[in-house]
Amino acid sequence: MDMKTIQLLANGLLETVYMTLVSTALGYLIGLPVGILLTVTDKEGIRPNAFIYRILDVIINIMRSIPFLILLILLIPFTRFLVGKSYGTTATIVPLVVSAAPYIARMVESSLKEVDAGVIEAARSMGASNLTIVFRVLLVEAKTSLITGATITLGTILGYSAMAGTVAGGGLGDIAIQYGYYRWQTDIMLITVALLVILFQIFQMIGMKIASALDHRK
Amino acid sequence: MSEIEVRHLSKTFTQKDLKVDALSDININIEKGDIYGIIGMSGAGKSTLVRCLNYLERPTDGQVIVRGQEMGALSEKELRQARMKIAMIFQSFNLLQQKNAVENISFPLRIQGTPKKEAKARAKELLRTVGLSDKAKSYPSQLSGGQQQRVAIARALACDPDILLCDEATSALDPQTTDQILDLIKEINESLHLTIVIITHQMSVIQKICNRVAIIENGHLVEEGRVEDIFNHPKSRAARELIFREVHGDPPTLQSPIDEITEGTKIRIVFTANSAFEPVVSNMILKFGQPVNILRANTRNVGGVAKGDMILQLPVDRETRLQMEDYLKERGLEVEEVTT
Ligand SMILES: Nc1ncnc2c1ncn2[C@@H]1O[C@H](COP(=O)(O)OP(=O)(O)OP(=O)(O)O)[C@@H](O)[C@H]1O
Ligand SMILES: [Mg+2]
Repeated sequence: MDMKTIQLLANGLLETVYMTLVSTALGYLIGLPVGILLTVTDKEGIRPNAFIYRILDVIINIMRSIPFLILLILLIPFTRFLVGKSYGTTATIVPLVVSAAPYIARMVESSLKEVDAGVIEAARSMGASNLTIVFRVLLVEAKTSLITGATITLGTILGYSAMAGTVAGGGLGDIAIQYGYYRWQTDIMLITVALLVILFQIFQMIGMKIASALDHRK
Repeated sequence: MSEIEVRHLSKTFTQKDLKVDALSDININIEKGDIYGIIGMSGAGKSTLVRCLNYLERPTDGQVIVRGQEMGALSEKELRQARMKIAMIFQSFNLLQQKNAVENISFPLRIQGTPKKEAKARAKELLRTVGLSDKAKSYPSQLSGGQQQRVAIARALACDPDILLCDEATSALDPQTTDQILDLIKEINESLHLTIVIITHQMSVIQKICNRVAIIENGHLVEEGRVEDIFNHPKSRAARELIFREVHGDPPTLQSPIDEITEGTKIRIVFTANSAFEPVVSNMILKFGQPVNILRANTRNVGGVAKGDMILQLPVDRETRLQMEDYLKERGLEVEEVTT
């Protein structure tokens, strides 16, 4: 393998890591608060609000039911408006975030709902406000589950970013399509696949390590 | 002024079109320094009542007045402030699983803005109070039930509360640990002059540490008063049942041995401090020369005084029976006929 190919693959790898991490981070910027809001406004939550819950619930369900590839195309005008172009790594981040956010919101919601109602009741009995309960009880007690959720999310976004490569989204997916599909260079495609697998494994390993290191429930 | 006054308290839960009257017109006064027991069968409304005391549950009707302050009149913020002085412990301990003992005990102080160092020092001091100094860094998952409840008690004491509410605080513990926790609660009551409200379904808990008791049945207050009085002269069927079930296993039913013996009259006698150690029953048998059946017997400790009760089957002969009852009464025993 020549220097150029290695350069190409290294570049693709970096792009993929960049897209995945940035999209996940931005996804959490939206998904985390929405997930919290879902938990809090649920009828069993600390401040039930059927109206807000219902609206968020419907929006999330609609967004989650659109397949990623279709969302990618559907969002092209929006992406162009935001980023100025509809191809390349930065542009790919837009649909990645849009599809990640509702997914993350659900992940966060289910993590937070695992927190024992008794612990929340105890905090209320101590005079904790709802804000205190969210930030010092819910998020803290659910941290292991939240990190596990983030790890799974990262894996999913990694997969999506590779998929986005098929429409000139950059990264390893792009390389796999360009060389493996259009130019029949199977070896390069195999290497990109191997890199994706390894990347996925690394993400999972780090995530699970952190989660279990922070878990004090045995 | 009572420490806690409950006036005409009612609570109705509405689920869809189903209405559950969890509490109906409850009136109780709890004085400062009381260890006040609230007892009743499962579903009687005990938890609902105790949760109304700190307004975790809003009553549908009536008032809760804590230290002269009507809880219903407080704003959300004032209510949170008031709750800081009304601590609570639970059957399932409800400790933060991701925080160690010291962090758990510091928690109520931290959410009030006490600096970390100060809160930690106070937490360590409280750990000593509950006898767990060596477990400062342990997480709840590494502690036994009894130890977790000790941490929960320490946490409850962190903000120097006036009142401690205990909702089935010992129900998840074995009898020995239960005794230790009750001793600790009693100690706290004495050393800190805390008013304590104890919810339980076990008469033994009431007998061990409470001075007053309220009996709740189907959301109604059926009997209330000094523990001694209620134990010796239970008036309501619910009170009798609770005492009997506890002292003699299951409440007497048609199938129980008590009812299989149809001959003669059954009485329950209650020993007081001076009579428990005198062989009063055998003396009576000797005196009257008539056989008496001891159907069940039990002695226990009530408020530090040796106490006991027995169920006797007396001869059919009415004359002898009445004489025997008088004989027992003369010796300071409480006598009542068992009709169940
Ligand atoms: N949030 C609620 N919604 C509807 N019904 C409720 C609610 N909480 C309690 N109840 C009902 O109120 C009644 C009293 O319940 P509560 O929990 O106070 O009983 P309890 O005496 O504490 O029983 P246990 O000994 O089993 O804990 C029960 O019939 C229960 O089903
Ligand atoms: Mg209960």
